[in-house]
Parts: sequence; C-alpha cells; structure tokens
Amino acid sequence: MSSNVDETLAGADDGAAADKPTDAADAAAGGVDEHAEEAPRALAALPSEPFVEDGRADKALDFLVDVLTAMGLDCTVDLMENDETDPPGDIRIEVSGDDADTLIGKKGQTLASIQFLANRVINRPSMPRRHILIDAAGYRARRENALATMACRLGKQAVDEGKIITFEPMSAQDRRVVHLALAKFPGVVTKSEGKGATRRVQIIPVRETADAEG
Amino acid sequence: MPGPAKNESLVGLVEVVARALVDHPDQVHVERVKGDKHPRIELQVAPEDIGKVIGKDGRTAQSIRVLLNAAATKAGAVRAFLDIVD
Repeated sequence: MSSNVDETLAGADDGAAADKPTDAADAAAGGVDEHAEEAPRALAALPSEPFVEDGRADKALDFLVDVLTAMGLDCTVDLMENDETDPPGDIRIEVSGDDADTLIGKKGQTLASIQFLANRVINRPSMPRRHILIDAAGYRARRENALATMACRLGKQAVDEGKIITFEPMSAQDRRVVHLALAKFPGVVTKSEGKGATRRVQIIPVRETADAEG
Repeated sequence: MPGPAKNESLVGLVEVVARALVDHPDQVHVERVKGDKHPRIELQVAPEDIGKVIGKDGRTAQSIRVLLNAAATKAGAVRAFLDIVD
C-alpha cells in the first residue's frame, strides 16, 4: 500500500524559491458555484453564500515559502484552483521543483507534517476552519489513485470471501479516500473503528436483500 | 559539506515554525545546544504558548521534529533533536 516517493518531477522550471501567484483571491474563489450542491465534506460547505478570500491563502503561502527556505529546499509554491468537490474555503497548494521529493519524505511523512503545521498556523479558534491541502510533485494525487484502486480490490475480496477486511491505521484524509472509493461499491459498507492515531477503515460485506434468507 | 550555516538553518527553521504557531512570537527563543554528536535544538516560548508548540498528543511537536530531521538530512547530518524547554 505504501507507494514510495517516485521520481516524476513536474516541470522544474527555473526553480525560484518564492514564486507566488498574485491572483490569490481569484484562484481561491474559483470553486464557488451556485449549483455546487452536496459536497461530500458538507461540514464546511455553506451553500449560496459566495466565498470571500480572507487573506489566509496568502498567509499559508508565505508560511510555506519561509519554511522551505529555512529547510534549504529549492522549490516553487503555487496556489491551485479547488476541485469541484472541495468546500470553497479549502486552500490547495502545489509544491514543485528539484527538492520536492525531499519535502514528500518517507511515505509522505514530511508532507503530512508540513500540511498539519500549515493548518495549525492559519486556523485559530474563532474563525471558520479552512483546510489546507498541500501536494508535492503530484505525490498526493498519485497516492490517492493507488489507495482508491487498492480499496476496490479489497472491496471485491471482502465480497468474495464474505469477511471483514481491516486497513492499517491511516490519516483522516486517506480514510476519506477509501470511504469515497467504496461508497457506490455493491455489497459492502465501510466504517472506521478506533480512536485517534489508530483509527482504521473496515470494509464490511453485506448481504443483498434478495438473498437475505437464502 | 558541514559548515556553520548548516546549524543556523536548523535554528532558523524552528524559529520560523514556532513564531507562526504562537501568540507571542517575540518571546520565541531558539538555540543550538553545543557539544552533542547530533544537532540538538532548544526551543523556548512564552509559558502560555507551550501547548501550542506541543499540540494535542504532541502532534505539533512531532511535526516540527519531522521537518527538522528532513532539514538536517538535507544539510548532511544524520538526524537532529528538538527539546522544548520551560
């Protein structure tokens, strides 16, 4: 399951350490749409109210640039447009460049840490929470694909063997990928068991109503 | 390629992260402790900010250590240690 750091570096242009887009407000507001109804993470999604950039996207970018510079990493930081399924307040940041692999770390550990800290820095009590999602050299996108593929394979195995399959403990973000991948998968339901850092996803086969009393 | 700049950057990293996390950035003090085999960085913050740099279950402190180790590796050290002192 642990897809390692692999070496497809997205176009490492001239590697200026602090390349920030100035149209932060535009990019972050890009995902707002009147008919963007049921976002899966409905907690943060307030419909109809258009999202207004409050400067925290810039704050997150500044923080990242400062940290990467202090770490001596040669990277470029860009604010990305949100996915359609993202709550409009989410902030997506992509890091690229020669040292992006160092930022990923073993099993994405370093990337997860910097994302956690960035979320801590820009989310203070008394403000609505905005998630920061940081990717480096496409690592998270690749990993989510691999995780979703594995989830479907294990979903099939759960149905075939009629047994509950339990994952290793994963982050909330990774668990969400598994839940979404199997949400429409016939014959199984998913749920998470355990607390804190040991919370795991379970794939549970369910009998179809048709052969319930077979 | 070890040099004086290498440990300065570790101190700088902890400073940048700690200052961004706390309510009193002016009271953040970071120092490299001399005499250890591996770089050891001491972080001191205002008493009411200690919880902010440690975090629930020590998660914030752990995340700072992960970044510190990545930076130390990049600078040629095997690993680095972070102490939060009060």
